[in-house]
Amino acid sequence: MMRGRAYYWLVTALSIPAFLWLVPTLWMVSLSFQPNEILARTTSSTALGLVPVPFTAENYGALFTYGQTPWWFMNSMIVSLGMTFSVLLVSTTAGYALARLRFPFKRTLTVAALVGLMVPEQAVFIPLYTMFADFGWHNSYHALILPRVAVPIGVFLMMSFFKAIPNDIEEAARLEGVGWLQIFWYVMMPLARPAMMTLAILTFLYAWNDYLWPLVSAQQREYFTITLGLASIQSNFAQSEGLGRVMASGVIASLPVVLLFLIFQRYVVQAMTVGGTKG
Amino acid sequence: MRQDSNPLRRRRLSQAQAAFVLLVPFFAVYGVFLVYPFFRGIWISLHDWNLLAVAFNPDAKEFIGVENYQKVMWGKNIEWGAFVSPALQLAGLVGIGLAVLLRRTNRMSRATAIALGIGAFLLFVLPGFHPGEGGRWYDRRFWPTVGNTVLFVSLTVPGVTISALLLAAALNRETRAMAVLRTVFFLSQVLSVTVVTLIWQIMFSPRQGLIANITELFGGTPIVWLTNEQFAMAAIVITTVWWSLGIAMILFLAGLQDISTDLYEAGALDNATGMKAFRYITLPNLKRTITLVVVLQIILHFQVFGQSHLMTNGGPNDTTQVLVRYIYQTGFRDSELGRAAAMAVFLFLIMGAFSVLQFVIGREEEQ
Repeated sequence: MMRGRAYYWLVTALSIPAFLWLVPTLWMVSLSFQPNEILARTTSSTALGLVPVPFTAENYGALFTYGQTPWWFMNSMIVSLGMTFSVLLVSTTAGYALARLRFPFKRTLTVAALVGLMVPEQAVFIPLYTMFADFGWHNSYHALILPRVAVPIGVFLMMSFFKAIPNDIEEAARLEGVGWLQIFWYVMMPLARPAMMTLAILTFLYAWNDYLWPLVSAQQREYFTITLGLASIQSNFAQSEGLGRVMASGVIASLPVVLLFLIFQRYVVQAMTVGGTKG
Repeated sequence: MRQDSNPLRRRRLSQAQAAFVLLVPFFAVYGVFLVYPFFRGIWISLHDWNLLAVAFNPDAKEFIGVENYQKVMWGKNIEWGAFVSPALQLAGLVGIGLAVLLRRTNRMSRATAIALGIGAFLLFVLPGFHPGEGGRWYDRRFWPTVGNTVLFVSLTVPGVTISALLLAAALNRETRAMAVLRTVFFLSQVLSVTVVTLIWQIMFSPRQGLIANITELFGGTPIVWLTNEQFAMAAIVITTVWWSLGIAMILFLAGLQDISTDLYEAGALDNATGMKAFRYITLPNLKRTITLVVVLQIILHFQVFGQSHLMTNGGPNDTTQVLVRYIYQTGFRDSELGRAAAMAVFLFLIMGAFSVLQFVIGREEEQ
């Protein structure tokens, strides 16, 4: 491992672009801790505004006493967790069956499922809108959840995971007379935990950050997700809400995904790689 | 012989029955919320379908065949010429020549050559269409919107790819400091589009923005980024590069892990270190990954919506209007669902072509 002088030069040289890369995020956090009256006059009080002096936590207090941010945050949690759970359910079951069971039309069904990877959300949001309108389903949690559950990326992921498990585990269980569903539930599911974790994180990030479908489907503010709600208040940030408060909403909206990233970094990177290459 | 005295055990499902039970939940959702909407989208695109009129009266739609596609993509007295847009068309011709040449000399795989050839051919043909005398496009905004989207992609993709490649090469060491730096560069990737546009809208603000503050510090006049025709697209591209560098960097890091260290050791004996090693060892071995990353980025960024919708509203003067935003507006502001659906089918065809390309490259990689 290179650990000489050149290495320390490299780290120092890379720290500069890395700091610049962090500046926009730091600035958001710093502005969220400054008083709105000051921000209305200048955003560069101390060190170009990168240090929150004068300091206040009032913006966060205000978010929780009035405004809809906490409500939108809850909506996002419900939708993201609901979507994550549903995607895990349909993907592990279908992924296992397609990878390891023998049944008629297996090849046809596999191809049929994977062709769906080619259809981007942007190409189906109009027909989906009319469908949900016909059902009278807009402005509900299931309307925000269901379209993503149909995307076969999870099935693809779980299928390739189950395919890699050696046969003898299953055969041993078969000899004991254990049924297929029991094998799936008691033998395969525990083995699949790392893959399920990756899929869960991929889904949660997608759900939390999705913008286009919630924008189309949720017209009532009570059903906004935090991502959508933030978009609705950012167009008039300086006038009505105050810059500091909008920035505080931005920080709150980012907190779950940033924490998820920092705690489960390995899984997040893996999830986004898989999501990036296959979805 | 095993004695099956347990009645439950005898009612065990056969393999095919178990498969059926396990497959039903996914295929039900898949069929209803993806396959059906896909075909319904094509069906809508063949109708004169006004969102509000049909909402009040389901029979208010009228089958009109491909008229929506005509209204969107075609016009009156459209002609074709080889010198309408010389720069683009020449680039197309050069591309075709290059694809043939590189394939002949076997310096490019067949799939890549075909893809390059088709792309270059379209670049030669498409800009050649123009309204002749007394003619006009039925929809003046559609092709400029496609052009903006292509411009956005052709600025963002090289920007992301080159910076991510250089960063990955520099950060490809297993030390604590490098891990921290990787985390920093990846962090912005997990933010949502609305947080990213919130941050950068204010970064670019001429009155409150950090960039304006720095400009003023040095005695300059702040640029009005988002409402200036010259800078609006640049602002969106900068925002997007900042946002989406992470995935590309991670994919490159994974590709770099696969290059054997023996190659570098052998290279070092031949005096190939640093930039030389990067040029002669890293780049050639990373060719597949680079192609894959470029194709993925094209698919991803062709679907740009939030940056344009939230930062510039497609303006000023439509210079940052992009395809998905135009679909959204046509459908939900102008209520012209039929035409919007036709554009969505157009989008799907382009994305589908790139997905096939991605699949082919992936297959080549496995072999």
